Amino acid sequence: MKWNRIGLESLTFPEPKKYTKEYLSNLEITNINLDEINELSTTKLEDFMPKEAKGLGKDFTSYVEEYYNSGISLHVPRNMKVEKPIILDFLMDDENPMVIDRNILVLEPNSEITVVINYKTKTQGHCFHNGLTKVYAKENSLVNIIKIQNLNDKSHNFDSNLAIIEGEGNINWVSIELGGNITGSNFTTILNGDASQGNLSSIYLGDGDRKLDLGYSMIHKGRKSNSNIETKGVLMDDSKKVFRGNLIFKKGARTSKGVEGEYVILLDPAVKSDSIPGLFCEEDDVSGEHAASAGQIDKDKLFYLMSRGLSEREAKKLIIQAAFRPVVDKIPSEELRNSINTEIERRIINE
Amino acid sequence: MKKKLLDIKNLKVNIEDQEILKGIDLEINPGEIHVIMGPNGGGKSTLAYTLMGHPRYEVTEGQILFDGEEIKDLSPDKRAKKGVFLSFQYPEEIPGVTVEEFLRTSKTAVSGEQQKLIPFKKLLKSKMEELEMKDEYASRYLNLGFSGGEKKKNEILQMSILEPKLSILDETDSGLDVDAIRIVAEDVNRLQNGNRSVLVITHYNKLLDYLKPDFVHILLDGKIVKSGGLELAEEIDKYGYEGIKAKFSRN
Repeated sequence: MKWNRIGLESLTFPEPKKYTKEYLSNLEITNINLDEINELSTTKLEDFMPKEAKGLGKDFTSYVEEYYNSGISLHVPRNMKVEKPIILDFLMDDENPMVIDRNILVLEPNSEITVVINYKTKTQGHCFHNGLTKVYAKENSLVNIIKIQNLNDKSHNFDSNLAIIEGEGNINWVSIELGGNITGSNFTTILNGDASQGNLSSIYLGDGDRKLDLGYSMIHKGRKSNSNIETKGVLMDDSKKVFRGNLIFKKGARTSKGVEGEYVILLDPAVKSDSIPGLFCEEDDVSGEHAASAGQIDKDKLFYLMSRGLSEREAKKLIIQAAFRPVVDKIPSEELRNSINTEIERRIINE
Repeated sequence: MKKKLLDIKNLKVNIEDQEILKGIDLEINPGEIHVIMGPNGGGKSTLAYTLMGHPRYEVTEGQILFDGEEIKDLSPDKRAKKGVFLSFQYPEEIPGVTVEEFLRTSKTAVSGEQQKLIPFKKLLKSKMEELEMKDEYASRYLNLGFSGGEKKKNEILQMSILEPKLSILDETDSGLDVDAIRIVAEDVNRLQNGNRSVLVITHYNKLLDYLKPDFVHILLDGKIVKSGGLELAEEIDKYGYEGIKAKFSRN
């Protein structure tokens, strides 16, 4: 398989291996029992996902459907509000170098849940992640999904995220992309019901020769549906990034509104940053806004911070952490927030 | 003989190949307050930025000795660590960093000592009380949405926390009301009592009602044309910069 956007000549999927480690540590604190979780394990993507929800593409998603070695299926009953976040911790090592996770979340009307999925490596060897997360949020439900990826610099990371949101339902995606050699990440949200809402906040940090392909789509179908994509990134060294943000208004999505913004700080001249916003309308009475900026850190801001005793790197780090902060603050775990901040600090200071 | 804190000799500075400062001589001893007055465009702010080390200002000739050491090639953070402070005319807004976090980071960097959370909170609170600033400023993002006067007060708060050997106040009095000017002046006087030096750069002499400067200098077209005491400021008040200019152009 060829991947032109990030200049990849060929990509072949490795032979699937097992992931035998525990990754669900705090399930007992929620009041969902395992029967309900397993109930949906046979559900296929096609059963409730429309055709336009392709994720990274059929090659990726069908690989997961066929070979998945981990993941959860959750069926949240009507009116149930799960207060504590469900946290999945994947820590790949030489014995377990592959995570192929398939996650299915179905929220019955008026229910709420938060899921955090953390992908890390504990080895310098090559690791592989290819995941598929499917969400079906019914009327007036609320789902928060937070994905944090910090694989080592040799690893490949692929992730397809698909959601369909019914009337007055809400989804908040948070994506933190810090690691991996190659990352392909897709979030597609179908705002199917009237007054449904989809938000995506993401940050990424490109250093070394990291390559990122980020594709985010908000597909408006219901009336008065709302979407918001906000992405902040930093590129340094020889890293590359392609950002595609699509706001798609289908026939019938009257008075819907979509906003997307991508802001990237370029720290080195050799980085490559492409932003491709897309606006597709089949309906007149909609509003789509797009904003983007790419540039170096303002010299006067740097001077101000340095005049207060901060070295150039410390000053840059401060500005970057400050830019990332609104997104990092959405993570419902202080431990995870701290570890992300420490990681960003380490990368910028040891530039 | 007192050891000089700042010793500037024949300082010439270019911005984008245009000469702005054309040979400045200035000596400041510990505990002295100096005031530099002059019309806009005369080079006052250029002098302030040059002393702090803004990369856009190129020193083409002369020396800047601070505590006996040449600092003209040092980056701004190294100068800050030696005890130079600039109160900005237009402080930058930094969203995402609170005043308290920033000042703690800054104090740690300048002093070289890790600032513990609780003692630092206390220090900040007492300094904010002195400046009659509300507690809530500590948790607001640095300068974001601050009024002109609030930004200036926040600069003085930073000065007061960092306790620099030399504070350069670049047009700090502009944008401040009379009460705020009095409060700022009190803080400057406190620093002076601690044998620290202050260089006040101003267009007006509002701040001078509350300060007792040791020297007043007039900066015209890149040069200090006259130095004296407070009577110089009164002269400017009386004749205006135009009158002073006329006097010097006759020579």
